[in-house]
Parts: sequence; structure tokens; C-alpha cells
Amino acid sequence: MLCRMGGSLVWSAPPMIRVRGMRKSYRTGKLSTEVLRGIDLEIETGEFVSIIGPSGSGKSTLLHAVGGLDNDYGGSIEVDGKDLRTLSDRQLSAYRNGNVGFVFQSFYLLPHLTLIENVSLPAVFDRGDQALADGPLLDRAHEVLRLVDLEDRAQSKPTMLSGGQRQRVAIARALFNRPKLLLGDEPTGNLDSKLGAQVIELFRKLNHDSGITVLIVTHDPRVSQITDRTLRVEDGRLFEGASPASGATAPEGEADGTSSPAEIAAKPVELEEAGA
Amino acid sequence: MRSSRISRLVVANIRRSRNHFMLASIGIVVGIATFSFFIALAQGVRAVVLGKIFPLDQLEVVPKSLDVAVGPLALGTSTFGGDVIDDAKVTQLAAIPGVAIVYPKMRLTVPSIVWGGEALLGANLRSELVADGINPALVQADVGSGLEFRDFDDPSDPANSAPERCRTDADCGEHRWCGPPAATRRTRRNDGDDTGVIPRGTPMVCRHYVPILVSENIVELYNGGLRRAHALPKLVPDSVLGLTFNLVIGASMVEASNKGYLIEEKAMLVGFSRKAISLGLTMPVGYIQRFNVDFGSPDDAQRYHSAIVMVPEKDDVAAVAKGVADLGLEVADTGAEQAALLIAIFTLIFALVSGVIVGIAAVNIMHVFFMLVYERQHEIGIMRAVGASRGDILRIILGEAALLGAMAGVVGVAIAFGSSLVFDWISANYVPDFPYKPETYFVFPWWLVASALGFAVGFCILGALLPARRAARMEPAAVLSGH
Ligand SMILES: Nc1ncnc2c1ncn2[C@@H]1O[C@H](COP(=O)(O)OP(=O)(O)OP(=O)(O)O)[C@@H](O)[C@H]1O
Ligand SMILES: [Mg+2]
Repeated sequence: MLCRMGGSLVWSAPPMIRVRGMRKSYRTGKLSTEVLRGIDLEIETGEFVSIIGPSGSGKSTLLHAVGGLDNDYGGSIEVDGKDLRTLSDRQLSAYRNGNVGFVFQSFYLLPHLTLIENVSLPAVFDRGDQALADGPLLDRAHEVLRLVDLEDRAQSKPTMLSGGQRQRVAIARALFNRPKLLLGDEPTGNLDSKLGAQVIELFRKLNHDSGITVLIVTHDPRVSQITDRTLRVEDGRLFEGASPASGATAPEGEADGTSSPAEIAAKPVELEEAGA
Repeated sequence: MRSSRISRLVVANIRRSRNHFMLASIGIVVGIATFSFFIALAQGVRAVVLGKIFPLDQLEVVPKSLDVAVGPLALGTSTFGGDVIDDAKVTQLAAIPGVAIVYPKMRLTVPSIVWGGEALLGANLRSELVADGINPALVQADVGSGLEFRDFDDPSDPANSAPERCRTDADCGEHRWCGPPAATRRTRRNDGDDTGVIPRGTPMVCRHYVPILVSENIVELYNGGLRRAHALPKLVPDSVLGLTFNLVIGASMVEASNKGYLIEEKAMLVGFSRKAISLGLTMPVGYIQRFNVDFGSPDDAQRYHSAIVMVPEKDDVAAVAKGVADLGLEVADTGAEQAALLIAIFTLIFALVSGVIVGIAAVNIMHVFFMLVYERQHEIGIMRAVGASRGDILRIILGEAALLGAMAGVVGVAIAFGSSLVFDWISANYVPDFPYKPETYFVFPWWLVASALGFAVGFCILGALLPARRAARMEPAAVLSGH
């Protein structure tokens, strides 16, 4: 992507996420409420970003749209160069399957399946040509369970685990298909502060070690302290920074409060080192 | 690979919700069991009725508007008149395409009596004689071993040597008896009596018994009904071969012949034949010709009263019936058509009843699936999140329904089969014999099992269709964020 920056032309990788003028309203009965009223957002590959904001402000709504769970909105969302709105249900499903890892506040593990089966759930719906055969699938399942330090419980059922362990299984599941994007919707919301800290540390480590782009919706101020960037949703709009005082901005690549263009430009290099 | 993994999810889901599914599938199981049981019963009854009682591969052809008692249920003698079947007609019948062979038959038109059976039954049975004659060459296959079915009294047959004189049966050897020569007219003692006096000076000679073939119907009717009324022993068909009894031609329990004489003969049962008259005795046609001429006119020797037409292919029956009509003859009503219709109606009614049961069961399945979809909405949401499309969700739910249906179908058919065994066992051990009582009342053809399974799967899928659609259309974002 060619950007004009300080009068000189600079090459930079296209952003991982680009949201333009996104609007979303919900209809309940005859009443239609506009939750998001024009969101513009760019997140570079390898960034570790948190989204904060009051309850009901539309954080989850934004996250779901970016993750391809919702395709009914105004404006446009491009992820990794793909315009999500143009995708059919099948294509969007394939996109979620191959590119996105979701982690939710309630872990949503399937209680009747073992951890191995839970973390390999994405493989069930993999319609790609290089879908894993049974052997490599098992290896991959052990690999992601090792990443979250639960390999020894591979054959257990989720009901045997603590909340923190369950959330780590959910993270392992999210990582199974090696997504480019890891989305967390209040992943620590159901955990006490100590377990929450462990989970956040895991996100940070994943972001740092493998350069995966991480976007976390959170109420937890400690989370937003760790992330590279904090975005705030309020009154249907998106602001840069943790508090209103840090300055409202339409992140159009112009004035930027917290992260300098130089920092953003540095991220893609990190990803290349990680070897994707 | 994808579909096999989805199938594994389906199986895991079924296992997990087995209690729900067990309840949900009871209706399907009951419906399918009902369906299989009654259709198998109808098939079994059909096999007995159309295979044994009213065989479809043979037609009895009679002159138009001549009422001949042919069905086993049509009792009694008939009077004859009108048209007859002569040799020319027999040749024409045999020429109809689809006809394999024609057995012309002649009725005994003289009132007669049959009596005997004391040696076997402990008491003499006595009955009006209904008899017909058939060309012996056509039924040799039905004659019991060591026995003969031919016209022993035909004077023109060189095989019949001149009768030797005798004094007692012992003089004549096996299978013969000592009595007056064939066709000896006895003087009626008094009106209504069925014994006569041999004219003085009549020589006694060794005689062959009149060979008799009977229909298996007779043994069936005897074993199934008659013997119970008279507390007589049960008969095994082969054990009664060789049984001898007496015929009195020209005598009647109802009306006496207008002739002043009788002819007495001894007869021997030599075999069972499907071509034999249903209720009566069938003998070589020569005997019947002589009796009819003796008590009637010489013309009677050339008149056949019916013909059995064998039609090997069921599909040809209609065409043959038309050919028969074109000859000015008609097919005697055997009741087969009505029986077939009754069975068809019976089958239809139970198919409908089980259809209603299965239909109601499908509604039940629908409720259970709606509940399951609601219960599992978060799981469905997370499956969508990790890459399941709407179609995948639809496939998973319908897959569960199909598997459930298949299992319910198998159980239903198994229950039907088990019940049929119990039913047959009870019938064999506790139900008194009745005519044509079969060993099994059921036939489970492959198509019945296949359609039972098909219905079970089909109705389960039908019931799960709406819930599956709802699951597929659920907004994962709304479900996963608790809205
Ligand atoms: N499926 C839906 N139908 C109707 N209204 C919805 C739906 N999803 C969200 N909303 C409404 O949209 C608004 C934003 O919801 P959203 O879940 O995005 O908020 P949030 O910022 O994530 O809140 P929280 O911090 O409580 O999770 C809320 O007012 C909510 O009631
Ligand atoms: Mg939320």
C-alpha cells in the first residue's frame, strides 16, 4: 500500500483489518436502534489491540462483524484484503474457519467431547484442499493444547476443568487452524483476576511469538494497559485511546494519539520473522 | 473427510441426547412396528389365500351361466343343463396364448352317496357324493406311490384282463376286492334306501377299487373344522392314501334317482391333486361317463362340464379370461378376486393407520428437535464461529434425524418381527386348527423392510426439517453474545 507520509511515499503492507463507515442498527419490533454509526478503523498485521467502552455500546457487534459472524451492516469491512460483504454464507464460513479464531466470555466448549475433539472442531468444517488428515489433525490438536499447557488433559471432558483451563481450551480451539486473526470478546470476563491475568498473558505471548493479530474486547483496564493500542467505542463511534480525554479521532491514517506510523510500519516485519 | 467428521459429530450428538431421542422416537418405533406387522400379516394372508385357497395360476372354465360349485366355500350339488364343453372347445381352449394345459372335467350327474371311513375314523361318515372325472393321463404326477389312477373297468383297454372269479376279498390280493362285476345293477330294496340286492346268479369277481383323487382342501376342511365337530382324529394327508370307502350311484339322502336300481362300487383314495374337485371326489373320466350314461342318455359320454385351464404366468390371466369369453365360455368365479380386493383394503387401512401414527410421531420429533436446537443454540453458534456454514448446521441436525429414524426403523421392524413370531407361536400352541391354518401368518419381503426403514428415516427428517432450518438461520452473533 502506498501511503503519503510526511511528504514522502512509503511502502507498507495493507492493513489486516480495514473498516470504512461501518453502521449497524438492530431492529426490535418496530423500533430500530443504530448501535454503530460510522466506524472507521485500521489494524495492522501483528497488532495487539483492545477495545473498551460502556456496556451496550456495540463492542461485540463490531468484533462479530470483523470476524465474519455477522454480514448485515452498512459500510465495508476488509480483512486481509477480502471484502467480507461480498462473501456468500459458505465463503464467509470458510473465512471464519481459516482466518479467524474466536474466544468468548463463556467458553462454549462442547461438554460431551474430549479436549482433543473440542480443539479440533474447526477441522470438522474445514473445506480447504489442505484439510488435515486424521494423523496430522491429532498432532495439531496436541500442539495447540501444549501451547495452552493442557496437553496432559487431552482426553478429559471440559466439565473436569476449571474456568481458567476451559478458557485456555477455547483459545487452543481458536488457534487450531492457525488463524491470522484472534478475536476475544471479554475473554477474561468469567475469570477471577489471577486466572484472567494468565489468559491475557497467553494472548500477549501468542501475539508476540507468532505475530498473530489480536483484537480483544474488554472491560478490564489491566488488559488495555498491556495491548499496543486501545480503542474505545462510545455513542456509536470509535475513539483512539483509553479515555475521552486522550482525544477523539477518526483513524484515517492522519493524526494518531497513541501509536505512531513508525510503530505500525514495523509490525509486518515482525510477522515475516515469525514465518507466519 | 469433511462429511465423515460431520457424521462423527452427529453420532456423538445422538449419544449425548439419547434419552430425549428415545422418547422422541417411540412414536416412530410404534408406527413402523404397526406398519411392518400388518403389512407382513397381509402378505402372509395373501400368500395363503391366493397361493393355496384361490390359486391364481389355474382357472376353472365353465359353460356360460352354468353354476358350478367350485370354490371350497360353495357347498352342495348343482343341477346341470345348458351348454357343455366338448372336445372341440377343449382344443380351442388349449390354443389360447398363455394357456399351458387344459384338464377337461366331467361331472357325475347322478345323485349318489359316499360312505365309509370306520376303519380310520372309528365311525362311518356318510355324504352326498359330488364327483367328477378327469383324463388320468393328466394327473399321474399326483398319484401316491404304489397306487394307480386309471380306468380299471374300461373294457376296451387291453391292460384290463378278464376278471377272475372269487369268493372272498382274500382271493383277490392286495388293492382288490371280491364283488359283482362292474355296472351290476342292484334292485333297490325300498324307496329311499341306499342299498340294493344283487340279482340272483350274479358271479363274484375280483374287482379293482375305483381310484380317487381329492383336493387338499378336503383334508384342510376336515382337519380344521369337521373333525372337531365330530371329535374325530386328525389326518395326515399321506396316511390316508389307500383308504377305501363305498359309493352308491343312484342313491341319495335327499332325493332318490327315478331309476329303480343302484350301482354300488368300492373306491380307494390314491392321491391329492389341485386339479381334483374342491369338495368331492375325482376319478378317471371313464367311470363318470359310464355312470352318467347308465342313468342318463348315451350323449352324456361326450359332455364335459368344466375345464381346468393352467396359466403359468399371472400376467396372462386377464388375456386368457378374455379368450375364454370369446369361446362362449366363462371363468368360474372362485372368489379370488374378492379375496384379493379384501386383502388390498385391509393392507391399505393398516398402511393408513400406521401412516397416521408415524405422522403424529413426526410432530413429536419436531417438538423434540425444536427443544434440542434451543438447548444447543450456543453450540450451534460456536460451530458457526469456527466455520460451519448454514448448510453444515442443516446437515448435522438432519443427519441426527436420519440416524434416529434409521435406528427407530430397525427397532420397529425388529419388534414387528418379534411379535410375528409370538403370534405364530400362540397360534400354533393355543389356537385350535381351522381350515388352511398356516404355520406362519407373516411374510416379510425385502421391500417391506426397505420401505419401513425408508418411512422411518423420511418422517424423522420431515419432523426435523423446521427445527433444522431454524438452527441454520440462527444468527450466531446474537446467540454468542446472549441476545
Ligand atoms: N441481536 C440483537 N438484537 C437486538 N439488539 C441487539 C442485538 N445484539 C446487540 N443488540 C443491542 O446492540 C447494542 C450493542 O450490543 P453489543 O453486544 O455490541 O454491546 P457491547 O458493547 O458488547 O456490550 P457489553 O459490554 O455488555 O457486552 C446493545 O444495546 C444491545 O442491546
Ligand atoms: Mg459484548
